Amino acid sequence: MSIKIGEGPFHQRVEKGLNNPFMRGAVSSAQERFQQRKASAIEELGNWEEWRSLGEEIRQHTIEHLDFYLNQLSENIIKRGGHVFFAATAEEANHYIRDVVQSKNGKKVVKSKSMVTEEISLNACLEEAGCEVIETDLGEYILQVDDHDPPSHIVTPALHKNKEQIRDVFKAKLGYTKSEMPEELALHARELLRKEFLSADIGITGCNFAVAESGSISLVTNEGNARLVTALPKTQITVMGMERIVPTFEELDILVSLLTRSAVGQKLTSYVTALTGPRTEGEVDGPEEFHLVIVDNGRSSILGTDFQSVLQCIRCAACINVCPVYRHVGGHSYGSIYPGPIGAVLTPLLEGYEDHKELPYASTLCAACSEACPVKIPLHDLLHKHRQVIVEREGKAPVSEKLIMKAFGFGISSPALYQMGSKFAPMAMKPFVGENQSISKGPGPLKSWTDSREFPAPDQERFRDWMKSRAKGGRIDENRYRS
Amino acid sequence: MKVTLFATCLVDMFHSNVGKATVELLEKLGCEIEFPQGQICCGQPAYNSGYVKDAKQAMKHMITVFEQAEYIVTPSGSCATMFKEYPHILKDEPDWQHRAQLVANKTYELTQFIVQVLKREDLGATLNGKATVHTSCHMTRLLGAKSEPFTLLNNVQGLEVIPLDKSQDCCGFGGTFSVKMGQISEQMVDEKVSHIEDSKADFLIGADCGCLMNIKGRIDRKKSPVTVLHIAEVLNSQ
Amino acid sequence: MKTGTVHNSDSFLKNISSRLGRDTIEPAVTLPEWSYSPQHRVLENATQEELIAVLEKQCQIIHTDFVRVKPENTLEETLNYVIESYGGGPIITWDDPRFEQSGLSSLFERDDTSIWDPSIGDNNIPLAEKANIGITFSDITLAESGTVVLFSGAKKGRAVSLLPTVYIALIPAESIVPRMTQATSIIHNKIQDGDALSSCINFITGPSNSADIEMKLVVGVHGPIKVTYIVY
Ligand code: SF4
Repeated sequence: MSIKIGEGPFHQRVEKGLNNPFMRGAVSSAQERFQQRKASAIEELGNWEEWRSLGEEIRQHTIEHLDFYLNQLSENIIKRGGHVFFAATAEEANHYIRDVVQSKNGKKVVKSKSMVTEEISLNACLEEAGCEVIETDLGEYILQVDDHDPPSHIVTPALHKNKEQIRDVFKAKLGYTKSEMPEELALHARELLRKEFLSADIGITGCNFAVAESGSISLVTNEGNARLVTALPKTQITVMGMERIVPTFEELDILVSLLTRSAVGQKLTSYVTALTGPRTEGEVDGPEEFHLVIVDNGRSSILGTDFQSVLQCIRCAACINVCPVYRHVGGHSYGSIYPGPIGAVLTPLLEGYEDHKELPYASTLCAACSEACPVKIPLHDLLHKHRQVIVEREGKAPVSEKLIMKAFGFGISSPALYQMGSKFAPMAMKPFVGENQSISKGPGPLKSWTDSREFPAPDQERFRDWMKSRAKGGRIDENRYRS
Repeated sequence: MKVTLFATCLVDMFHSNVGKATVELLEKLGCEIEFPQGQICCGQPAYNSGYVKDAKQAMKHMITVFEQAEYIVTPSGSCATMFKEYPHILKDEPDWQHRAQLVANKTYELTQFIVQVLKREDLGATLNGKATVHTSCHMTRLLGAKSEPFTLLNNVQGLEVIPLDKSQDCCGFGGTFSVKMGQISEQMVDEKVSHIEDSKADFLIGADCGCLMNIKGRIDRKKSPVTVLHIAEVLNSQ
Repeated sequence: MKTGTVHNSDSFLKNISSRLGRDTIEPAVTLPEWSYSPQHRVLENATQEELIAVLEKQCQIIHTDFVRVKPENTLEETLNYVIESYGGGPIITWDDPRFEQSGLSSLFERDDTSIWDPSIGDNNIPLAEKANIGITFSDITLAESGTVVLFSGAKKGRAVSLLPTVYIALIPAESIVPRMTQATSIIHNKIQDGDALSSCINFITGPSNSADIEMKLVVGVHGPIKVTYIVY
């Protein structure tokens, strides 16, 4: 799996999403719960906007000095006996990790949740090399067991599935015999996975935030799987996107507080674990060997551009949880492991527009995402910037859009053209106007509107003409504008 | 007080009744209305679709048309937001940015203008029935006009304003989104209309013709008994 | 300590520098004064009793039993009571002088108690895995979130608070601070002073849980299923 998931063109994927009532029910109720939980978590704080501003400031500063902080991180890790590998590309990262695993003669790899390893398709690489790779986050595990169903959300990856579907997958693949109760399903996974943790050679984790001042990495989880992955196997490999770093523990406090509240509405998750290097003298749990792989994979090309603020992202999914488009189409429609508003901004930056040029348009620019983002990324602005790039640099804007705009003089720069477009609109539209002064079957691009909605007929007299005659002293019928 | 009216292209072409109500209302409140005939579209549809160059031309034209005004008032939260964005969009051209800033500073959405500048809350309007309100995204999130419509509507005689479930959700208009992503837009507006129907309101009131055109289009198609009104029409009713 | 290795740092970091408009990697960066500091105002003037009350309340939200040692009881009595309520041992604990200092020596007279012992190496793991109850002290306790902070070490194994079915944290009242801010500031100061940082610092907030299935909360996934905090 790489960033791209699923097949078929965008509109086909959307169609499939819209016609999946299970998924839509699951996503819509999940969004509701996420929103409620977040709302009460931030209400308690009372000064959420200050927290957000602080979070934004810290992230901006860190990204602005990323070279310094990554260097400091790396030096501190070496001091503690850890190994650091800077990977410019997915291949470099994968090959290094594969080589480490092979040098340890590793056969069984347990993993805790990590989006960046999805992004670089690490599992496929390790499986090809003959390793057994086991995802241990419950959501990821469910997807893995279900023949590698792609994730549809960055925090709860199996969000699109309901419990009956999960029960059926467990029955078919894991010899499960109990009910669809989440408790029973989770207990079954606990029992199976406990054995895997105890017998694994290698543990692989993501990284929520690295701490530059000490060379630590932090993991934020509820299930405890990341703790097991880092306590039991003899070798630990942590993979991080290069921007996931904070200067000191004091900033870690702020960002973790923002993350857990925004992601799951908790003051803190059950486990926040800060790990520094391999085990120390005398310790008997924790890894004997620690590797940190810092991944660029397209991120550095975002630096110094109008899109730099997207690197502030802390992957909390708050933007996804409020997005009405996501609610209806579901995660898979985006065709990316990063769905929703953050995905629509990030995916084309990491993988180019070619396969993802619809994503920036899959938004009404309603700004619910920007309002939700705990580090104040102006997501709707960035979506808009993408559109600008697509139109001006890539020349890929769809014809229908140009048509609809020019047809009515919307956005027309010249007053003369506007005058003409607006003046002739009533005449041009006349053939389509039905009773009640509305259009039920519109021509050309309007069809997409009138498939589900009435479109108003242009007024016979434009407002400006009314104003003109009024100014000349023309009489006004007092009742004409009341409905 | 002299008010320069920015009608918006949707009002000009499709919803002249909203423009007329705005003029009447402001005149009743003691304003003298000026309407520059040179006004065109604010450039938002082009801008939002990525046609920034085209949009900038429209914007500069609009700045020239409106910069002499004392107050610029528009019956659209979204178009007011666009005027407020002008200086940011023109940041690479300092002269224009400066002129844009002056225009932005004196631009008000209608209800904001009434409450903040005219300092009026009870306009003596009457409308009998129950109403629910669509709080448009740009108007609330970007312009920050959240309370003004409610302040004014709560003073309308005979009108009971009732809450709308998921009121913060977008109606699915989004300008060209509504045709470009028609299938998604349909689901969004359909959900919005269901919540409106569930509220059992007689009226759906909003302050943005784009959203209202979208919602009304769906309501009419479904033959729902809800009447869609722009807030200017409500505040001007007696 | 053996030092580690680093690969490709030069080309990787120089690329970032140049993207950010610099010729070389910045040699030094000073942290700015942030414009806001809301974190310091949380429970700013709370007394110790108030912090304990906040902790108790938060425990309800995080599905954790909160027990305060009553004046007429000893910590030992209270702990024994909690252990029995969970059906007794096997028990595993840290090798920590605080047990003795807190009058808990009798814990080690039980034959179902094992102490984390670096000298037996990997053999600690099955002991922890088979244990019904793991017991540790809290090094710092966060009232706001209901969190115990554990600094692991040779005698303070990571697995003690992780592998058993039940986890009991012993919380000295004086270890309670308002929130994570105070804990991270202690850690930050240690680093500044050049103190060796524990290889594993855990912020533990109640039992493990998951909401991955239909957003329904399941308590007890990979880590402990039940947690009790005993404040003394
Ligand atoms: S963009 Fe903001 S809201 Fe979305 S995942 Fe990233 S940090 Fe969270």
